Formats: sequence, structure tokens, C-alpha cells
Amino acid sequence: MIQKKICLLGATGVGKTSLVKQYVEGIFSEKYLTSIGVKIDKKEVEVVEQIVQLMLWDIEGIDRYCGFQAKYLRGASAYILVTDQTRSQSMTEGLEIQALIKEVADIPGVLAINKADLPATWHWSENEIDHIKSQFALSCITSAKTGEGIESMFASLAALLVD
Amino acid sequence: MDIKPSILHALGLIDCAVFERLKSGHLKARFVGVTWLAKLMPEASNNATFTYQHGCAYLDDFLLDAEKFWANGQSGKIKSGIWREQVAQQLLYLEAYAAVVKGVFYLVICNVEKEYQRQQQTLQIARETLFTNDKLVAQHDHAFERIASLVANSGDSSQAAAPLKKLLQQTELGVAILDEHLNLLNSNAALVHMFDSGDKKQKQAPEITLLQLFESQYPEYQRVFSTNSPWSGELYWLNAANGSKWFKVSIHPICHSEKQLTYWMLSISDISQLKYLLKRNQKLSQFDVLTELPNRQYFWQQLNQQIKKARPFYLLYIEIKQFKRINELHGHLVGDVVIKDLALRLRATISSEDTLARIGGTEFALIMHNDNAFGPITTLERSRCQQLASELIQAVSLPFYTEHGHQCEVGLNIGAAAYPMDADHSEDLMKYADLAMFEVKKQQKSNLQFYSKALKDASHKRIELESALRNALDKQEFELYFQPMFDLTSGAITKAEALIRWNRPLFGIVPPDEFIPLAEQTGLIVPIGKWVIKETCAKLAQLQAKNIAIKLSINLSPRQVNDRQLLDYIVSCIDTFAISAQQLELELTEGVLVDNFVKVQHLLNEVRKLGISVSIDDFGTGYSSLSYLQKLPIDHLKIDRSFVRDLNNNENDKALVLAVIAMAHSLNLDVIAEGVETEQQKDFLQLHHCNTAQGYLFSHPLPFAQLAHLLSQQKTI
Repeated sequence: MIQKKICLLGATGVGKTSLVKQYVEGIFSEKYLTSIGVKIDKKEVEVVEQIVQLMLWDIEGIDRYCGFQAKYLRGASAYILVTDQTRSQSMTEGLEIQALIKEVADIPGVLAINKADLPATWHWSENEIDHIKSQFALSCITSAKTGEGIESMFASLAALLVD
Repeated sequence: MDIKPSILHALGLIDCAVFERLKSGHLKARFVGVTWLAKLMPEASNNATFTYQHGCAYLDDFLLDAEKFWANGQSGKIKSGIWREQVAQQLLYLEAYAAVVKGVFYLVICNVEKEYQRQQQTLQIARETLFTNDKLVAQHDHAFERIASLVANSGDSSQAAAPLKKLLQQTELGVAILDEHLNLLNSNAALVHMFDSGDKKQKQAPEITLLQLFESQYPEYQRVFSTNSPWSGELYWLNAANGSKWFKVSIHPICHSEKQLTYWMLSISDISQLKYLLKRNQKLSQFDVLTELPNRQYFWQQLNQQIKKARPFYLLYIEIKQFKRINELHGHLVGDVVIKDLALRLRATISSEDTLARIGGTEFALIMHNDNAFGPITTLERSRCQQLASELIQAVSLPFYTEHGHQCEVGLNIGAAAYPMDADHSEDLMKYADLAMFEVKKQQKSNLQFYSKALKDASHKRIELESALRNALDKQEFELYFQPMFDLTSGAITKAEALIRWNRPLFGIVPPDEFIPLAEQTGLIVPIGKWVIKETCAKLAQLQAKNIAIKLSINLSPRQVNDRQLLDYIVSCIDTFAISAQQLELELTEGVLVDNFVKVQHLLNEVRKLGISVSIDDFGTGYSSLSYLQKLPIDHLKIDRSFVRDLNNNENDKALVLAVIAMAHSLNLDVIAEGVETEQQKDFLQLHHCNTAQGYLFSHPLPFAQLAHLLSQQKTI
């Protein structure tokens, strides 16, 4: 069985923990509960008759209270940068995090635009988003609440890593 | 007396497992009497040596760092950081340490559930606050950007152009657009709703209430409106329909580039809910969450208490110089780290009896303890204040390094006002310290300015000057002078720099260094700059008619570069006067390049396509980064006059000038020396292949007629 470490990164409150919880346990809670430190979950996916175990490192949101820690990316095969389409600042901070990741790791990244169940109220234009997407290996619209786009995001990522 | 770990554990004082690391992967259990360990590391049992089975990914990862640490062998410890581990049905909250004590290597794993919950509780409130605040800031910024663009382009906002009306209806923010005299031109229903006092008899227009609140709660009120400065902050309104309300308010000046009219856009959101959230945590309501310093509200209380004691003291208003640049260059996360570090440095510099607070995004205030507690402010106290300000400036002058190696440099604008000498009310005291700080803001370097009556008078004079400057264009009081530039090889005039002069009736010529900074601050530089472009093109057309081909250069300021219509305007002037774009040159300072790199890059690429050349003005005085020289389409570097002035007797300046010439030539750029006033300077520059020179040795700035005459003579020769 192949094992792949995937780090979930992003500003605080974008829904990293909720994404993993929905993917691994199929559960969603409306209540926002801030995370501290790291939680690792595992899930197996089948890619072209191969079993891949994804080790999902859900890393505390990066903000003024918690800085970016490059050490968490050690040994990672990919990362998912999660943003919240109801909050412009989550993309601004996401881009800053993306720049920090690129300084320390040359691994594929996935842009997850989360909270698709809510209207997109951020001020990023389609053109800007398209330009940002081009910096990532994959990009997905997701909703931790409805589960939209989550299975397919992890499946596509696993396929990309096995390729 | 030795206390056994098991007793400490039984008393609930520790909840840890302790191992001795024998060799890589081999551990000896020293204390494992904790129930959760069996689930996490079943192979461990008391005092037994065992091989760690590597079942826990986070711990495995930490052990890589731990092995390096143990190999080093030095006493101390490193932490893993908190992680959560789902073991069977139990979620463990853990943190590991690798330690070296008296040459023995230890691995300690602790259950930190209580600490986790404590931290989570505080961070939960702090982060919820942060989201709400982020959303509000984004809403205000977005609304301002869109409304400013509509107002600037629609001509007259009172006509309430349809898109503006629609936008005002759509936004959740309360918005008021006021004219330059603060009379309402436009507002929306959201604003009216926010300021509904429930009292039908005493109905006051919302914008009036808002301005009254601003004036009564912020001493900066007068300065903001008199200097056309943007402002944002929080206002408290006691007379709301259902108790009191808190508002977040942003005030932005909007300059209409064509008609020079100034509008004010006020955007308001109700943050009462946010304040309620903060109240749930006493610490957050009185302290700034980023720096952990007292916040504005708390500082205000302290200031009033200090005044009640009736003992003289200095109040310092401190602003971080050009902090916007750090956010733009490195992002807000780095910006936050710098503010946090800067607050630490400030705190380390002051005495424990001083009170320091963060009163705004980039602003701090300090109540300076007075040694001479009951006597008046003496010269000694003033020197002490000066000394403290120098120490504060010194403390932040060393670069800030972020975790990822970003280097940031900042400075401080410090204004000081003395109680009771300058004012005996907290509002006035803050207002005067703010006014003094604003004076330093105009300077390049960090500095302290004491409040004085002269400063207040200068402020009034400045308001008068600004009013006169607003009318100067209509009254045709500006004139262009041209200072020729000479080719150091042929001696011929190759181009001339357009320099504006303001002939103010009854006052005579106002020096540019007096009115250009004011025009820049007030935004009047945009219409004035357009006049310079148009006039320069007109003069080029006149020279063209006389068959005189010369290049004229125009200075661009930061505000002009930000003007979205600049490029179109230049193109339209070139077309109107039917001149060749190659006869125009733009001069920009290094600061403009760094502040607006993306915009400047776009602008310069476009002007290059037209054939306009570009000079970097005052080279060597700002951010002399080589990277932008390579990335931008630049043709010439103008060495700042300050380096040329002492060329004859300052070895450093000589070396710098030589370095600039060598670097410019290696990048295929021409070099222009400014401020050449002596033959020796000219000889030195000629000897070292400087291409062009400008200065009093060759020619003073000339009225256009004289320039035309000089050029026609040159043509004849």
C-alpha cells in the first residue's frame, strides 16, 4: 500500500478541519471550533487498482496567532490550500501562505475554494481567480457542509500522486 | 526530598509519560503510569526497554528533530507542538518534548487536554473577532474602491449617476457622500437605518450625528479633514433605539481629478455584536490581541486618570513610518509579525512606569512618566522626552527579520505634547500630539516633533495655502520653467526638465518644495500634474513648429502613478498636440517604483511601447534595488544632487557615483548627474563617462521663451 502525506493549509476559519471531517467521517458541524496544532487522519482510496493511504495533516490555521511552520511540510507529497469564498481576506492570506510553501517545498498544490453552499461574497473577480488557479496543479470548489467536490478532490489528488 | 512522579501524577500535577532514549528507536520507560499511554504506545511498560513501533505519524515526525537534538548532546529541550491523536474511541491532546538533562536523553509525552481547551477558548474568541473584522475591512475597502471610481468618473455625484445609486442601495454598509464642506450629497437607506434613534421628534440627519460623534470622540477630527487624510476607527453612540451602538467607520477623501472637487466618502458598519463578543473576554476588550498592549479605549481611561492626578507629563503619539509598504511587499502576515516585534521593542525601551498602548493599526500612544512628579515640565523633562524618543527610534531602526528571512525596515513618526503646558484636556492633548506627529510624517527620516503654537499656526497657514493651491489652476498661476541637460561629450543641450513654478499673487513665487508635498498629500497633484503634461506637450509643439527637436522630461509623483487615467491622458495630449512620443520623458523616483511596482511596471511597459523614455530620479536616495532596474523598461538614472554636491571632497560620494555609473552602463542605461555646480564636478563626471549633466554650472531653470531662444542659437551653431 502506498502512503502519501497531504497537508491542509489555509487561513483560520476556512474549513480545513470540516473538510477532513466530512471526507473521513461524513460528518459536518455548523459550529466553528478553532483548531490548535495538528491532527492527522487517514483514509484509503483506490486508484487504478492500487490502494493509496492518504495521511491528512490538518494544520492549525495560519494567522497572527499562529505562524506558518515549514516543518509540517516535511515528507509531504502534496498540499491543499483551503480558502473561504465568503471572505476575501482568506484568499489574500492563502496567497501569502502559497508563497511561503513554494519557498520550502516543490510539491503539487490543490486550491480548494470552500463554503460553496454559501453565496460567493468575496471580492475576487473570475479573472483573478482563474489567474490564481493557474498556480496550482488542481483546483476544486468544495463544501464541507454538503460534501460537494470533496470526494472528487481527494480522488483526483490521489490519482495525480500515483501517476 | 524526592517526590515520586507517581505521586505528582496522583495529585493531578503531571500527566506525562517519561522515557529515556537509549539509541535510535530504543527507549526505556521511566514513568509510564498514565492510562492513555497504553492506547498510544502499547509496547511501553514500566522500566522495560523496548523498541518504538512507529505507529504515530506526528510523533514519528517529531522524533526526526529529536534525534538531531540528542545528537547535539547539549542540555535543554525542544517541543513538538500540540497534536491530536484519535486512539480507538478516545481523542488525545498531546505534546512531546525531547530533553537532555545531565547527559541523559529523555522523551516526554504529555497529555495537554486542559491546556488545549484553555488555549482554544481564548483563540476561539480572538479568531471569531478577527473574521468579523476582516469581513468588515474588506467590505469597507471594496465599497470605497467602487464608489470612489464611480464618483471620480461620473462628474458630479449630486446627479447621483444611476450606477452609483444602485451601488448605494446594494451595499450593506451605511454610506454617506459629502462635499468638501461636509454637506451631504448622497447617502443610502442602510445609513438611515443604522442611526435610527427611535425618537421621532428629535430626528437628526445620520451624517450629522456621525460627524458629531467623530469630533467628540477623536481629537484627530480636525487634522483628518484639514489635510484630506483617510481615517478609520470605531465610534460609540449612546442614543441608539435599543441601547448603545458601536460603529466601525471609514472616511476617505475622493478627489475628482478634472474639477479638483473633493468629496468625502463615509462608510459605516454596526459592530455592536463584535463588541459584545469582545466583552465576553475582559482581556480582549481592553488589550490589543496582536501586541497584547492596552488598546485605545483602555489608554483613554489611563490618560484621563493621569490628568486627574494633575501632575505634568508628556504624551507621545507614535506612528510607524510607511508601514503600508511592508504590507504591500511582504503581505499582511509578515506585517503583523513586524508590528508584534516592534511593540516588544518599544515595550523593552520604556520604563515600567510609562504607559504604552496600541491605539490604531499602525499607531501607538505613550504616557511618559515624569520624574519631577509635582513640578512643571522643565528643560530636563523635555530632554528626557527627546532621549526616550531617540531610544524608541533606535530600537526600531534595526531591521526586523521574519521567520522566513524577510527583512523589513521601519521608522517612527513621533509627536509629543505636554500636560498641562500644551493642553489640560485629554482630547486637546491627543489632538496636539497627533498634529506634531503629522509634521514628522512629511519628513523622510524618523523623528520627534514637540507640539508648539508655531506648529498650530503653521497648520493654519497650511490650510490657507491648500485653499489657494486649489484655485491656482483656474486662476492660471502656474508656469513651467525648463532646466536644460547637457551632453558631457558634445556639450549640446539634449533635453530639458519641466519644472513647475507657482506665482501666487501678493506672495510671489512659492517654492516647489513648499507646495508640491502639499499637492501630493491633498491629491491636487493629479490635476496639477495633468496641467504639466498638457503644457509640456504644448511647448513641444511650439518647438516643433520652429524645427527644434528636443526631449522634455516630466516628473511623476506617486499619486499620479496611481491615477488610472494617467496613461490615457498622456496619449490624448500627444495626439492633441501632434507631437512625437519620443520627445517625452517621464521621471520617477525609486520610492514610486517600490510602492506601486505592479502599477508602475504596467505603466512603463505601455509608455515604452509608445516610445516615451523613462528616467529614475534622485537615484541613490531610496530603495536602490537592482532587481527593479532589470525588470522595468528604464533608460536613464539620475544621480541625486546630494551625491554630486560633495563630489570634490567626499570619498564615499565619489565611490558611490562611480559605482552608479559602472552599474548603469553595465545595464545599458545612461547616467544623468543632477546639481552640477562646479567645473571640478563636471571634470570628474566627464572623466568617468557620465553621459549627461544638469545644474547651475550649465543653466538655471529657464522660462520657456529663454529655453526656446537658447535652443534656436544651438541649432544655428
